[in-house]
Amino acid sequence: MPAPAISVEALEKYFPPALSGWRALLHPFARPTERALAGVSFKVERGEAVALMGPNGAGKSTLLRILATLIIPTLGRATLAGFDVERDASGARRQFGYHTGGDEGFYGRLSGRENLAFFAAMNNIRRAAAKEQIARVAGRMGIGGDLDRQVRTFSTGMMHRLGLARALLHGPAILLLDEPTRSLDPLAAADFRHLLKEDLVRQHGVTLLFASHTLSEIEEIADRAILLDEGRVIACDSPRGICASTGAANLEGAIACLTRNPVTAEALR
Amino acid sequence: MNLLRTLRKVGAFFKRDFAIARGYRGALLLETLEALFGVATFYYLSKFVDSPELARELPAGSNYFAFALVGFAFFDYLSVSLGAFDTSLEEARQNRTLEALLVTQTSLPVIVFGSAAYPFAALALRTCVYLAWGALIFGFAPRTANWPGAVMILLASILAFAGLGILSASYSLLFKRGNPAKWIVLGLAGLLGGMMYPVTILPKPLQMVARLMPITYSLEGMRAALLDGAAWRELWPSFAALLVFAAILLPISLAVFSWSLRRTKITGTLTHI
Repeated sequence: MPAPAISVEALEKYFPPALSGWRALLHPFARPTERALAGVSFKVERGEAVALMGPNGAGKSTLLRILATLIIPTLGRATLAGFDVERDASGARRQFGYHTGGDEGFYGRLSGRENLAFFAAMNNIRRAAAKEQIARVAGRMGIGGDLDRQVRTFSTGMMHRLGLARALLHGPAILLLDEPTRSLDPLAAADFRHLLKEDLVRQHGVTLLFASHTLSEIEEIADRAILLDEGRVIACDSPRGICASTGAANLEGAIACLTRNPVTAEALR
Repeated sequence: MNLLRTLRKVGAFFKRDFAIARGYRGALLLETLEALFGVATFYYLSKFVDSPELARELPAGSNYFAFALVGFAFFDYLSVSLGAFDTSLEEARQNRTLEALLVTQTSLPVIVFGSAAYPFAALALRTCVYLAWGALIFGFAPRTANWPGAVMILLASILAFAGLGILSASYSLLFKRGNPAKWIVLGLAGLLGGMMYPVTILPKPLQMVARLMPITYSLEGMRAALLDGAAWRELWPSFAALLVFAAILLPISLAVFSWSLRRTKITGTLTHI
């Protein structure tokens, strides 16, 4: 039986406390005491779309960054397609594409094509193969006609598509997205969601784990949602299941109820 | 296979930085002019300070202009070596490309080394521009130069300086900004390394400190090769000293860098500005 696409077991993460002034020099050596994740466990099956939701500071981005091998967990274990993100980070990196919702992270003076060609080289894709792959992925993202323009002339929506194209260059089976539609206008966001769900997940069987604050987006894309609060998983079910378990009319009400915010919960019920 | 892959990636970094630099063609022209002003300054300074007493302290067959020109041009190598690695990290953090690079199948050491490829190539070009201005306009004439010897000294210097540069990048990884170690090394090297005057005019205790710095051997070797046409046998002590520095500094700096990298992944500050 193949390993699940994503497996997270009793993951804990503590950061050193923020220090200011001259004491900031001690920060790299300070004892990690600030809890960001407290024993998070879940699995994501291949081809599934799962959302991470929760209030600011709940641990969503920390969790995604651990899976993306950018942060080392304090305790516990996480694997991507069976590759341990800490012990076999380079194996794990072959399995996923990572995109954060910002419109930065490119070389503005280079064209879209030059940017993608550079990141393709960083992913060990040979030049001839990269050329084909760039054309294919950019075409899928709908930016094939704009690839020879300097990236600094791209709109925010195009930057998002370029970011997603970069994440897909090496043909990963898993996509990790942190607030993928942040700063997109409503129409561009709807378009982007359609691309994620219909094209990537349904047609190409990509596994999707994404963090989002946009609840309509979660309801539209996610097969399951994981609600995090103060570093703990407090609910993990389909969006409809989470609503049903709390008696709330919508996800907003369910989150307010589950994250112990009784005033908002009552108002939304 | 891995080496080939790494070289291909270094090539991709070079291509990236060249393409970006190509977008600022005016800057290249201005830098060429700036080099001319620098060389002219040394020329007129040398006319002012040249004296029989000074000539006795200089390598045989050279004058103060040639001495200072070589010192100034090759001091840049130390400066760029110290800055290139942490500058590449800093730029990647600033333009938010570091995170995108770190999730690719390229390790951070390759990212840091690869990003330094273009600055070193640009530096080699700048050095040539300095020497060319000196030769074309101000009579700098390294006719007897031992060019292969100069190249060997240069390569050994880059290896030795790279160790210091990687230590500097480790500091930048951990503390992000304000790298006092870089400025202390550059300040000490400028004062004691023999950029503008021979080390022999310094008091004895300072001469001993100068002997603990790779720049001293680099400038001595380079001047001997370029100004005196020294044979390989005469260049060997400077060359060997630089290799010893490289053999000590490179493994230590790579270990420190690796530790710093793990530390920043633990503290979660790898991509912080």
